[in-house]
Amino acid sequence: MNLAVEIAGIRLKNPLLAASGTFGYGVEYEGLLDLSLLGGIVSKGLYMEPRDGAPTPRIVETPSGLLNAIGLQGVGIRAFVRDVLPRMAKHDTALLVNVCGETVDEYAEVARVCDGAPGIAGLEVNISCPNVEKGGMAFGGDPRLTHEVVAAVRKATRLPVVPKLSPNVGDITVFARAAEEAGADALSCINTLLGLAVDTETRRPRLGFGTGGLSGPAIRPVAVRMAWQAARAVRIPVIGIGGIASAADALEFLIAGCRAVQIGTANFVDPGVHERVLAGLREYLERHGLDDVNSVVGTLEYPGLPRPCDAAGTEKPGG
Amino acid sequence: MPANRVVPLVGREALGAAHFLLTFLHPETAREARPGQFVMIKAGLSAEPPLRRPFSILSVDAARDTVTLFVKAIGPGSRALCAMPPGGEAQCLGPLGRPFTPPPAGTEALLVAGGYGVAPLLFLGDDLRRADGRARLFYGGRTAADLVLLDRAGGRGLAVLAVTEDGSLGERGRVTAPLEAHLDATRGPVRLYACGPDAMMHAVARLAAARSLEAEVSLDPWMGCGMGTCLGCVVRVHTPGEERWRYRCACTDGPVFDAARVVWP
Repeated sequence: MNLAVEIAGIRLKNPLLAASGTFGYGVEYEGLLDLSLLGGIVSKGLYMEPRDGAPTPRIVETPSGLLNAIGLQGVGIRAFVRDVLPRMAKHDTALLVNVCGETVDEYAEVARVCDGAPGIAGLEVNISCPNVEKGGMAFGGDPRLTHEVVAAVRKATRLPVVPKLSPNVGDITVFARAAEEAGADALSCINTLLGLAVDTETRRPRLGFGTGGLSGPAIRPVAVRMAWQAARAVRIPVIGIGGIASAADALEFLIAGCRAVQIGTANFVDPGVHERVLAGLREYLERHGLDDVNSVVGTLEYPGLPRPCDAAGTEKPGG
Repeated sequence: MPANRVVPLVGREALGAAHFLLTFLHPETAREARPGQFVMIKAGLSAEPPLRRPFSILSVDAARDTVTLFVKAIGPGSRALCAMPPGGEAQCLGPLGRPFTPPPAGTEALLVAGGYGVAPLLFLGDDLRRADGRARLFYGGRTAADLVLLDRAGGRGLAVLAVTEDGSLGERGRVTAPLEAHLDATRGPVRLYACGPDAMMHAVARLAAARSLEAEVSLDPWMGCGMGTCLGCVVRVHTPGEERWRYRCACTDGPVFDAARVVWP
C-alpha cells in the first residue's frame, strides 16, 4: 500500500504533517514519539530574532475548540538553524520552516538563512497569524501584499515555497491565485479563525492579547470548504489544515482535493494522534480496495461540479 | 521519559461532594515520577472538552503500577474525570515537568500548602519520610472544608499544622503566620516548598527572600499540552545572569520554580 505523496517536489512518506505552532520545533517530542512516523513537521513560526510572544493568558478552551494568542514566541531563525537542525537531522521526516516577518524584507531574509541551511525540506510562509501587531494576517488579508511577500520569498530561496493562507478573508480563491502567480509551489489552507472570548465577570477579553485564533474540531467544516475552494482555484497542490483529529477528518480534506494534511490542535490533546490517524487511513484504503492514498485525492462527488481530480488544471471557477 | 497511554481507572474514592482520589494504571508514571511532577489527563476519548488537564501526582505505587491523583470537580474536564466508572478509560501522559529539589541531608523541609495545592507536597513529604528526612506541613485554607486531606497528611507521619482563615479548623489566619513563627523558633537549616494560590506562594517567596532561605513553588497556570509546544502556560521567570525576565513554560521548565526567580503578578 502506498501512503507516500509529493507536494511541491517534497516527498512525504505519508500525507500527515504536524502543523506549525502545535509541535514546537519537533525535538520536544524526541523520546516520546517515533518522529519518523510523521510525513513531515512544520516548525513553530520563526522571525530573524527571538520573540517573547503575547501576554498571558494565551489559551482558552471553547466548544470543540481552542482560542489562542501566543503571538509567535520563538527562538529566531539563527538559533533554530544552529541548535535544532542538527538534532532533527537524525529523524527521517520532512522538516518545513514556518517563515515569519514584520516586513517583506524580513520574510526574504529568513528565507535566505533557510536556503543555506541543511535539512530543510521547504518553507511555509506565514501570512495568516492573527495574533501579532505587525506581519502575519496583515499580509494575508490583502492579495497585493500576499503577492509581494510570496514573490520576495520565492526570489530569496530555491526551497519549495508554501504560503499558509488566512481564512479571515471574503474569497480565499483570490489569495490562492495571488500566491500561485507569485511563484508558490503549494498552499497551506487554513490558519486559525479570528475570534474573541469574553470573561463575563470582568467584562474583559479572556486572552491577554484580546482577540485570538480559533482552532480545533470547531473549525473543520469551514477549513474543508476553504481548502476545497482553494484546490479548485489553482494548479499547485493544497495542504489541508483545520480540526483534524481522526482518519475520517483527514480524508475529508483529501477527498476535497488536498494532496496532504496537517494535524494541529489535536497534537496538544493527544501527542500520539499521527499514529492513530495513519492506522485509520490504512484501514480506510483497505476497506475500499485501494492501494494508494493518492487515489482518493480530489474524488469529491459534489452535485453539479466535476470531480476536483478530473477538473485539476483544466477548469477554473470564475471570480 | 513520559509515556502517552490510554489508562484504566482502578480506584475511586469520594472525599465529600467535590473531591476525589482517582487511581490509574500508568506504569511509567508509577515507576519514574518524582514529587512535583504531574500528568496531563482526560476522561474517555470524546472531543469534549477539547484539552487534557494537568494534575499534580499525589502518590504512586511502583509495585502496582498505579498513580493516584487528587481531583476537585470544578470544570468540565475535572467533572468528567470524577464521574468515570471503575475500569473506565482515560488518556494520560506522564510523568511530566521539573520536580521539587530534595533538601540536603539535615535540612528540614517546610511544606506550605494552600487548599487544593497540597497534593504534590504530600508526595514530597512521603518521599522525604522514606529517606528519614525531616518534613513539616503547614496546611492552610479559607475554611475547614478546604483541608480535605488533613487526616491523610497526619496519617503519613508528617508533622502537620492546620490553619484556616475563618478559624473553623486549627489556627485562625493565614498559613504564613505559623510558618513565620516556626522560622523564628528554629535554629537549624530549612528549605521551603509551596503550592497553592498565587498570593500565598508570593507571600512565601517574600518571606523566604527576607530571610535568605531557599524556596521552591509549584505554579499552576492553564496548560494546553504539557510538552512545551503550545506555549500557553508560560510564566515570567528570571534567569541568573540576565537582567530581563523570560517567558518559561510551566509544563517543561516548571511547574516547580525557584521562588526568588518568579516575577509575581
